[in-house]
Amino acid sequence: MNNDAVAVCSGVTRTYQEDSVPVHALRGVDFTFSRGDFVSLTGPSGSGKSTLLNILGGLDRPDSGTVSVDGVALNDLNETQLSDLRLAKMGFVFQSYNLIPVLSAQENVEFIMQLQGVAPAERAERAVATLAALDMADLAHRRPGELSGGQQQRVAIARAIVTDPVLLLADEPSANLDSATTEDLLRLLRRLNEERGVSVLTATHDPMVMKYAHRRVNLRDGAIVEDSAADGV
Amino acid sequence: MAEAAVAAGGRGARAGRPLLPAVAWRNLWRNGRRTWLTAGGIAFTVFLIVFSMSFQRGAYVQMIDNATALLSGHLQIQNRHYVEDKRVEQTVADVSRLVNRLEGQPGVESVAPRVEAFALVSAGERAFGAQVLGVDPERERRTVRFFDRVAEGRMIEGMTDAVVGEVLASNLGIGVGGEIVLLGTGKEGGVAALALDVVGVFRTGIPDLDRAMVAAPLAMVRDAFGLGDEAHTLVVRSAEVTESARLERQLDDWLPAPLIARNWDEVMPDIRQGIEIDRIGGYFVYGLIAIVVIFSVVNSFIMTVFERTREFGMLRAIGMRPGRIVLMVQIEAAFVWVLGAAIGLALALPIVLWLQVYGFYLGDEVASMVESMYVPARLHTRMTPVALGLAPAVMLVGTQIAALIPSLKIRRLQPVTALRAEE
Repeated sequence: MNNDAVAVCSGVTRTYQEDSVPVHALRGVDFTFSRGDFVSLTGPSGSGKSTLLNILGGLDRPDSGTVSVDGVALNDLNETQLSDLRLAKMGFVFQSYNLIPVLSAQENVEFIMQLQGVAPAERAERAVATLAALDMADLAHRRPGELSGGQQQRVAIARAIVTDPVLLLADEPSANLDSATTEDLLRLLRRLNEERGVSVLTATHDPMVMKYAHRRVNLRDGAIVEDSAADGV
Repeated sequence: MAEAAVAAGGRGARAGRPLLPAVAWRNLWRNGRRTWLTAGGIAFTVFLIVFSMSFQRGAYVQMIDNATALLSGHLQIQNRHYVEDKRVEQTVADVSRLVNRLEGQPGVESVAPRVEAFALVSAGERAFGAQVLGVDPERERRTVRFFDRVAEGRMIEGMTDAVVGEVLASNLGIGVGGEIVLLGTGKEGGVAALALDVVGVFRTGIPDLDRAMVAAPLAMVRDAFGLGDEAHTLVVRSAEVTESARLERQLDDWLPAPLIARNWDEVMPDIRQGIEIDRIGGYFVYGLIAIVVIFSVVNSFIMTVFERTREFGMLRAIGMRPGRIVLMVQIEAAFVWVLGAAIGLALALPIVLWLQVYGFYLGDEVASMVESMYVPARLHTRMTPVALGLAPAVMLVGTQIAALIPSLKIRRLQPVTALRAEE
């Protein structure tokens, strides 16, 4: 086993029932994600990239096969243990930001640290520092509804990285952003990956995202058809 | 820049405090109209129940006070055998000394000894059976308000004076100034005979009393029925009718056998039963109202949970345990309850306190209708801890259960499914 592996999938299958018709989202996927990687999961709609991302993030369970994250086998964990693992080791960035609408940007970033039991003074300090690192310090007091899409996604990234996760999972992070904002966001993710060593796994069909990744894993009909180094920018 | 953000103040700078209650509170105002409607339902229930219970409690105390003040007193001391079998010889002995000692007992305001006997009361050609009360007018005046009900003539003063019920006087065809003769059986089995002058006619509104009761001086009735320093009943007035149950226990421990103390609810079980039935009926109605409102709260929280499914999925995804999400929803329910209960109490308290002081006049017609049930013409509310606390407590439990029912769905929520839900 690769000692540098952050996440490992072995023989993972997942089938959904849609109107009593089985849909094979994943068909025996083997995949290793290493520390410091910036990987883009690509493929057409229905290829299984989001399913793989969800299974790696412990949001969904495979029908068969094994998944481990940072050495912890996810198959053996119950829902509460999975919640705790996500809280401790993972950061999530969603397509539609998914910030808590009644909290300010800073409070959104602090909220996850409160779940971890970080002391109030420390979490305020870390939230402010993280937002500042993402050029969001001046907007820290604004609520999501008062921010643009790009700014909300920056807050979502701040929330995802403030806990120093071993794995940052991003599902179509640029889907709701214009190209300039997407470029800006990708530079940010790349910088976090290079400077802070954040391991990034992103599911996307945005070619610009693929351009920034170091590695490209292409899925089709629930199977990996290509796993190659990307050019990067 | 980071320092600048902290120093800037505003919502961001307040961060650092516990966020769960803050999130719960702010969530309420995402749909302010729904929150106010839900809180309004709780407020209505709290207001209605606090007001109604205070009103009921006030009416009960006044009813008990009226009923006991008329004739029976708050407590009665009797020979245990007399309670079981009302024979004229089953008396309380050594009454003068016992009355003095009783008046030294803490909580006892006054004591009035009575002789009770049955006699044939006749005037001219007419005769009717009636209860004869031998009373000490001075002590009676300090203990009950029976003599306030003398509608014609005056109270007993002389040794041959008697007051009779209005209906009895009418049946006998006599009035003030008339003469009656009482014939009964004395303690030793001999004939007890007594000729009395009617100096007053009383009207209590209680048919049994107005139709069949005569009151005469204690000493005369004792003589006629062959009794010495004896009585059948010592009527006791306590400082407060609400204290009478405690005083009953105190006196029961103190009295020598075979004497016993009986609280008003033993002496007049029909009053107690009437109050109990009314109280149960009240609780039934309050329960129905509370259930209806709690169902509306359930509905409100079902909508809340349904609309926020995706958000709950996100919270699950970032690592929030299902139990903490449920806790957040329960805190929201608690805040709605605080709003509703505070408004309900704020509306009810001034009205209840005002009516506690000034009362509510039923009107002459209603007052005369309810007089026989000892209900006073002016009703006063009475604020008690139970009246004040029961409705808010029931609604607190109700709103928590109402929020918990849809919240249980959160426990079963799969994050990946929830994240796909429509907002």
